[in-house]
Amino acid sequence: MSIRRELNAVVTICARDVLRYLRDWKNSLLFSFFFPIAFLGILGGTIGQNLSGGLGYDYMQFALLGMVANLLVQSTMMGVTSLIEERESGFTQEVFVSPVSRYSILFGKIVGGSLASVVSLVALFIVAFATGIPLSLAGIGRILLVTPVVFLSGGALGVLLSGVFSSSPKAVDRATIMVMFPQMFLSGALIPVKNSTGVLDVLVHLMPATYLVDLLRGVFYQGTPVYGQVVLYNPMFDLMISLALAILFLVAGSYLFVRSERNR
Amino acid sequence: MIHVQDLVKRYRHSETAAVDGLSFDVRPGEFFAFLGPNGAGKTTTISILTTTLAKSSGTVSIGGYDLDQRAKDVRQSIGIIFQNPSLDLNLTAEENIRFHVSLYGIYGYRPSYGMMPQPYREKVLELAEIVGIAQDIFKPVKTFSGGMKRKLEIIRSLMHKPKILFLDEPTLGLDAVSRRSLWTYLQKIHEEEKMTIFLTTHYIEEAEKADRICIVNHGRMLFSGSPEAMKSLMVGKYLLLDAEDRDSLRSELTGFGPEPLEDGSLKLRFSENTPQNILAQIKTPLSFMRLHEPTLEEAYIDLVSNGKDEEEAS
Repeated sequence: MSIRRELNAVVTICARDVLRYLRDWKNSLLFSFFFPIAFLGILGGTIGQNLSGGLGYDYMQFALLGMVANLLVQSTMMGVTSLIEERESGFTQEVFVSPVSRYSILFGKIVGGSLASVVSLVALFIVAFATGIPLSLAGIGRILLVTPVVFLSGGALGVLLSGVFSSSPKAVDRATIMVMFPQMFLSGALIPVKNSTGVLDVLVHLMPATYLVDLLRGVFYQGTPVYGQVVLYNPMFDLMISLALAILFLVAGSYLFVRSERNR
Repeated sequence: MIHVQDLVKRYRHSETAAVDGLSFDVRPGEFFAFLGPNGAGKTTTISILTTTLAKSSGTVSIGGYDLDQRAKDVRQSIGIIFQNPSLDLNLTAEENIRFHVSLYGIYGYRPSYGMMPQPYREKVLELAEIVGIAQDIFKPVKTFSGGMKRKLEIIRSLMHKPKILFLDEPTLGLDAVSRRSLWTYLQKIHEEEKMTIFLTTHYIEEAEKADRICIVNHGRMLFSGSPEAMKSLMVGKYLLLDAEDRDSLRSELTGFGPEPLEDGSLKLRFSENTPQNILAQIKTPLSFMRLHEPTLEEAYIDLVSNGKDEEEAS
């Protein structure tokens, strides 16, 4: 009975996030298309034109997969951190005084954020098709198979930030940006990092998104001639590292969140 | 229904306690008003009682459940109307209610009103009719006025049939008409449902109808008792009298302990004597007479100011 109630609460919190996303469809669609066009079309395009000669593979396809991982991580992470941003006002107050476990609230936010991110994923594929980036259906299928890991990792990062900065909506907002940009540029999403050395190489390996981006590329490029040029590690290794980090972030973040939420 | 013993809350990095050893009980079905100036510890106390803030020490039980051991049961047995509306403005009024009942496990979540069970649909329409927002129940909350939002919050807080309703400044920012209509409905449910009401408010007149008032300042209790007890204890009733021949009037009233005021008129406090007793002693023609009945607001100001004066003196 109790588990059923908690599951119902997870579905409710998740449904609300999806409904809000759909209700605000104009802004949601605008942002879903703005980022792929801005980063893939403009930034990716510029880099691609200047690098493509020496790379030996399709840069735009390479960047698209990086964008998929980054966008899903970011939108799921921000879906969870909205819990802190709205805490002092709005519906979140109501959620916190309901007879629902804090863990269910966090889980509901992760699932809700993930489902809302699917719209961004679809938008990204539409931009890819429109700009002529080659994507096979089998490749898309393999990407979709591992997206739950990406959602989980993004949600876990959101939970960690919510736990560490639970007392300040502004701080969690800033922290989200501070986490987002290094991930985007150091994870190899847009800029190849295979030949990075020194401090940059260390930073690349410290970014959780590095393993997610590599996981997506690993499954997409499986069996293709360029696999060795674009993929850093075996997908299984990326999967293990990503899951381990997600579990670590979830455990630490949930603990901090539940504790600090009441111990002000 | 609510038992609070030696409650202390000290925020991190704060030298003084926001709540400093509060103890009180609220009986089942009681209308309990919790008053105090800004920074008195009202919101801190209500946050602890509604499980959103941890206490530093003390014992609290709500509806028979210990706050530390059975927080979920406590949440299930209370309804809350927050100081700031806790509604999702992007959703319709009905959707806000539907999310509430699903979170409280009363009904499983369904993606539309039509898919919800019949009892839910009937209850929503019935309550919306009672509070007067039936026409707008399927409209987005962002189109609602402040009064309509409060009414919606009341409907929502009653859907899970709470034993205790916490109202944290429920009429803040509402116009006089909305305030009156809200209170008419709150009094009705208090009487009909025998629900325990715990109210914090800045509008002292809203506490006039409370069964009991508790006044706090700087986290400590200054007074606990009925509104009548508070009025009589703090300011009492008095007569203001004046006459052309003040000396004669004063000598006639010597036995009643007249207090001369700055303008020369006389103030006569009475608790055992009636104004009729006093007036019967007077032969001197009066030029002025006024009977003063204390208001709760005067008593409140008196009480809080005295507390301040004592603190400043010490």
